[in-house]
Amino acid sequence: MLALGAFALLAVAAFAAPAHLVEPEPSRSFAGPLDAWPFGADRAGRPLLEYAQQGARVVLGPALVAGCVVAASSVAGGLLRCVGDPRVDAAVQGVGEVLGALPRMVVILVTALLIPSTSRGLLPLAVAWAVLASPGAMDEAAAVAERLGGARFVEALRAHGFSWTRIFLFHVVALNLRPVVVRQAAEVVTQVTFLELGLSYLAVQDAQASFTHPDSLKSWADLLYMGYPSIVLDDIPTEHALWTGLAMVALVTAIAKFATSAARAR
Amino acid sequence: MTAWWIRPGVRLIAAIILPLVVPAIITLLIWALPGDPAEIICPPETCGGTAELAARWNLDAGAWNFFRAWMGDAAAGEFGRSWRVEQGLPVRDLLDESIPTTLMLVLAALVPLVLGAVGSATGLIPPRADGGFHTVGLVPAVVFALLGAAYVELEYGAQSFLPGANRLRLVLGALVLGLADGAFAAAVSGVRGLFAAERDQRYVGIALLRGERPLANMLPNVAPALAGQLRARVLHLLSGTVVVEVVLRINGLGDLLWAGTLLQDFGVVLAAATAFALVSAVLLVIQALVEIAVAMWVRRAPTVRDGAAASPVVAA
Repeated sequence: MLALGAFALLAVAAFAAPAHLVEPEPSRSFAGPLDAWPFGADRAGRPLLEYAQQGARVVLGPALVAGCVVAASSVAGGLLRCVGDPRVDAAVQGVGEVLGALPRMVVILVTALLIPSTSRGLLPLAVAWAVLASPGAMDEAAAVAERLGGARFVEALRAHGFSWTRIFLFHVVALNLRPVVVRQAAEVVTQVTFLELGLSYLAVQDAQASFTHPDSLKSWADLLYMGYPSIVLDDIPTEHALWTGLAMVALVTAIAKFATSAARAR
Repeated sequence: MTAWWIRPGVRLIAAIILPLVVPAIITLLIWALPGDPAEIICPPETCGGTAELAARWNLDAGAWNFFRAWMGDAAAGEFGRSWRVEQGLPVRDLLDESIPTTLMLVLAALVPLVLGAVGSATGLIPPRADGGFHTVGLVPAVVFALLGAAYVELEYGAQSFLPGANRLRLVLGALVLGLADGAFAAAVSGVRGLFAAERDQRYVGIALLRGERPLANMLPNVAPALAGQLRARVLHLLSGTVVVEVVLRINGLGDLLWAGTLLQDFGVVLAAATAFALVSAVLLVIQALVEIAVAMWVRRAPTVRDGAAASPVVAA
């Protein structure tokens, strides 16, 4: 319930995000959370709530797609182990070995080079990340299936007269692989969110356009970047931006944590 | 997996393929981008001599010719010149400057991970501490790196590029890499899980009855999995260097790769990405060698057979 509630909050924020920030209102420059509810305002007097909403819009869809890709790979990994064909195992290991050996950030940056500046977005990077995370997820699901008995487990259930669909979808996936599949997907959702945060922060630090979203949108990294000077300089009152950015990070982390716990519960 | 040599064999093949695949993909990418590669570096409307540049950098005779020439040069230690990051400067010089820094950073970041792994294997770190490590690991690297950067600025102010500040950056960078994104938590819980599963094996109980130390008995059997975990951790750290080096302003390979990507400097990206791939390939080879060594040793060890388990086990 907590996971669903936190996710609903994020989804509402993303769908209600404005396409552009409102016009500047200099009289509300750096207004605190009590003066410009709920998070305060930036230097130009624009509400930080819109930054948070736009940041949610940037990450939500791509992170969910990445989570689905990893969940599907994880299920496939577990099911392939249940089939118990050594040639399939070797082929999966070979592909996984090459993919898993690539340093992820290198692949992400190379993928980012492919994205034309006119259509920047997180989705291709999120999918690339998910593909790179898939071998690990497949391996873990395969290990779970192996502990279950692999092909012998399937044979035993066949002997009980269960159908293939019931064995694979219910007994293997829903009952046994579910915790690992949901955890892997939740981890990748969090990782993609942090990836966006990292890449956008590096871009904004270098005063460059981010690979992950068009210039009209703001990321949660903008909140961190805005709030950072308040740590080192006394006369820049942007702590509220820093806390807002960190709160958004915490929200995503909490969703992942709650979802993982929920999937583990019987 | 029936034959013992399949896994290390696949790893060795992957290690050979990897340093070829990475530059090949980037080369294809250069040609996949809209426009002529030479015009991407030197747009004719803003700079003259595009054709000469294309000929000098092997960009005038197609992707295969470029790849072949680049690989040939790279094998001889030549990586061409930077297209934009440090225009005209040999990429080799940039690599020579950045690789030692990144290696130092990653090795320093490995120290807490190895200590954590040893602590969990020997039981010095109790399982109840895992929750705390996991919570710390939820913090993304960029947040920890920002705190580190702030600390350096507060400590050194305008003199934050003195050697002392750079050393502090390296230490903080290593700590950030080691703690953020679940690196430490994964190292501790991964090794703990591995040893906990192995401790349930019959041979460990027998070893205990014979008065032997369980760790010494388990170590050869878990060595391949430990090597795999170590490889995963190092790859994780390597990936993290990009964010940490840029935020903390450490002049390493990650910082170079980021600069190359941002400025579309394919000369730098090719070399930096290949360097990352080479490190990864070396890790694959190490893991394969550990697996082969253990497999050989297991084959020399006496085989324990009973009704339930007929697999060879190692007793130290």
